Amino acid sequence: MKKIAYLVAFGLAFSLIILSCDKEIAADNLESYIPSKLDEKAGTWKTIQAGNVADFVVAVPKPVTDPAYQKELDSMKNFISPRITPENKKAVEYWGAGVVYRWNEIARELAARYNVPSASNAEGKYPVPDAANPLADPKFPFANPPYTARALAYMSVAQYDALVAAWHFKYKFNRKSPSKVDPGLKPLLAVTDLPSYPSDAAVIAAASYTVLIAMFPGEIPYLDSKLAECKNAAVWSMLNTPSDITAGDALGKAVAGKVMARAKTDGMASANNQTLTAGMIEAAKSRGIKEPWISLESPARPPMLPNYGAVQTWNFDKSTLNSIRPILPFLVGSVEHNKELEELKSIQKNQTREQARIANFWADGAGSYTPPGHWHRIAADDCIASKYSEVRTARTLALVGTALMDAGVACWETKYYYYTPRPQQFGLKTSVGLPNFPSYTSGHSTFSSAAVTVLSYIFPEKATKYAAFAKEASESRIYGLIHFRIDCEMGLVHGKKIGEYSVERGKADCSGM
Amino acid sequence: MADYAKTKNSIMKKCFPFLFGIISVFNLLGQTPGDAVYMGKNSICFMGAYGQSSWDKYWENTLKRENLNIGTNTTSTVLFMSAIGLTNKLNAFVALPYTSTKNSAGNLLGQQGIQDLTIAFKYKLLEQNGFRIIGSLGGSVPIGNYVPDFLPMSIGLQSPSLTGRLITNYRHTSGVYITAQGGYTGRGNIKIDRDAYQAYETVYNTSTVAIPNLADGGIHIGYLKHGLQVYSFLERFDCIGGDNIRRNDMPFPTNDMSGTNLGGYIKYQPKSIGANFRYAYTIKGHNIGQATTWMAGLLYQFKYKKDKEENPVQ
Repeated sequence: MKKIAYLVAFGLAFSLIILSCDKEIAADNLESYIPSKLDEKAGTWKTIQAGNVADFVVAVPKPVTDPAYQKELDSMKNFISPRITPENKKAVEYWGAGVVYRWNEIARELAARYNVPSASNAEGKYPVPDAANPLADPKFPFANPPYTARALAYMSVAQYDALVAAWHFKYKFNRKSPSKVDPGLKPLLAVTDLPSYPSDAAVIAAASYTVLIAMFPGEIPYLDSKLAECKNAAVWSMLNTPSDITAGDALGKAVAGKVMARAKTDGMASANNQTLTAGMIEAAKSRGIKEPWISLESPARPPMLPNYGAVQTWNFDKSTLNSIRPILPFLVGSVEHNKELEELKSIQKNQTREQARIANFWADGAGSYTPPGHWHRIAADDCIASKYSEVRTARTLALVGTALMDAGVACWETKYYYYTPRPQQFGLKTSVGLPNFPSYTSGHSTFSSAAVTVLSYIFPEKATKYAAFAKEASESRIYGLIHFRIDCEMGLVHGKKIGEYSVERGKADCSGM
Repeated sequence: MADYAKTKNSIMKKCFPFLFGIISVFNLLGQTPGDAVYMGKNSICFMGAYGQSSWDKYWENTLKRENLNIGTNTTSTVLFMSAIGLTNKLNAFVALPYTSTKNSAGNLLGQQGIQDLTIAFKYKLLEQNGFRIIGSLGGSVPIGNYVPDFLPMSIGLQSPSLTGRLITNYRHTSGVYITAQGGYTGRGNIKIDRDAYQAYETVYNTSTVAIPNLADGGIHIGYLKHGLQVYSFLERFDCIGGDNIRRNDMPFPTNDMSGTNLGGYIKYQPKSIGANFRYAYTIKGHNIGQATTWMAGLLYQFKYKKDKEENPVQ
């Protein structure tokens, strides 16, 4: 008996200890906030791609005294509001953190899900993802850093342009928020003086959706559900009536359609043109490169998007791209190159835990939202920390996002212009995974430097922190053993120039910032 | 950035620490928290061992595959452990491995270092006519500051663990015995160097990662007499929950790993000095490598305190 008692006690004690361990990974606890500025004049800010926002057609809303509008309010008060479920409230809170913010987060998550290179097949070939069959193996797209930079740039530009248009029409029509018309409505989120027609939430949702279904065509059902939830939450919160939503949805789609027209002809369709590489290698040799890059995967994998450098940039033109290209790097066999190779060998032998931490923190490799995603996250987080309005957050992300895509294009152009070898061609290993494209210059360095140049213009008080981030992100590639120091240093210089063109755009967009 | 060829070693990564840190570590000694073999009171046994586990195929979710950018993944372990007879009913175990990993192909940098310290106790709850029921409780804590999410090269998962186990055993006077045991391991959250990661098709914007718990069980059939122990075993472990390795992606600490191992063990320790050898092969798995594992050790046992009662060493 006593033994059995021991046994039971032992079992209970163990179960208790195990069960008391909380494994839950908490979701974010972001809360809705009142923007520090409403940015009433944002309807006059310059768009990036959509042109003059007054040219878009938004139906004149019914006056608030109109029976049709009164019926909407009545339905919200007496039909929708009493039926709000805890799930609905959760959705309201989720979207309340910031609609631009949430769509940016959704896009980053999609990028992470699709950021896996294809497996080789039995013939030793790597099948190319097929946009017409996005969920086959390999899935389309391969959301690598250039792809993700572009997807996020287009989405951010669409959001920004659509919000400028929304602000224009909001203040043109000046329809008050439903609860200001009918104090009987009990909104679930704080209400500001921002006019509610057309709904900014619906504008952002529709613009984001329009871009994302093109970028991630296998995710249409998921994006449909997010679009519906986002628009519904704006009604459940009592911030918008259904007619605000309908107008916002149409405007968001119209503006994003114009932005996506650019995407269709920006050169991305031929970014993976592998027939160009032989000529690129010859051209690099003619520039002095002795030992061109080769793929060190087994079987050898065609390099990532060799013609991405020809994709249209946002903030400068082709001749500028050529004029700011970094100069020829140290050549294999030179004293400087040997010195940098020795530095890497020494790190490989004695990599410190702190070096490994830095390499891992910034790696943003396969299965992650990539370096452009990382910088969008930092930018989006800092926008909501500063209680930015939706339109100001969108402006920030559009400026950062276009700088990141420009950085991707210009960096890729440089990589294939010089076609230089990775340290692994000289026997080094890596603690972060080996990217399958030429070494010089470092993408991480270029992306990071471009992003912090823009962010330091937006949030000058954080410039020191950003500069430290960029330096660390850049050096992380040395610590991870996949870049020579010159790749990183020149990438930082290049990225800064690229970012400055975005800052110029920001300074000229009539926002007064 | 994108084209990494990292892949799997699930067993080695997730479950290797598990196998070596919790089960195999002690299995080698032949006297483990997971069996019915006992140290006599006031006895202590030290073991130093070396072993390797390697695979060239792994299960990416349910797809069994090779990876030319890994070739053969090998984990080598130098293990120090000790078993202590605190009383005739209560034994204690301490183990600490030094582990290193390498691939025969590809570009991934091997990792090495001290892994996790494991301490366990087992207590004889019932003994009657050759039957025994034993309970054991153990825990592990990471000692080395190794990187846990660089799979399959990481040497461990950095997850603190707590294992409860129940062992039943029957031993015939001829020396033939059979043991059946089952355990449950709770594994604590870990911190990784990154501030975001993907698991369950979701991006978690945090550096904290939840590690699935584990259940395991096994059967030994063997012979134990006059300093000779020989047995064969069949073992199975299963993560409770977890996600799958994504198509052509790297493994991750949240993966739902499971495996079935078949193997054998021999130990000869006529007096205080002895030697042992253990071999295991993964016959079935999910999100792990199909590993061949061996370990060989030297043992030294002595009385750390004299006692009056008779104290047969098994």
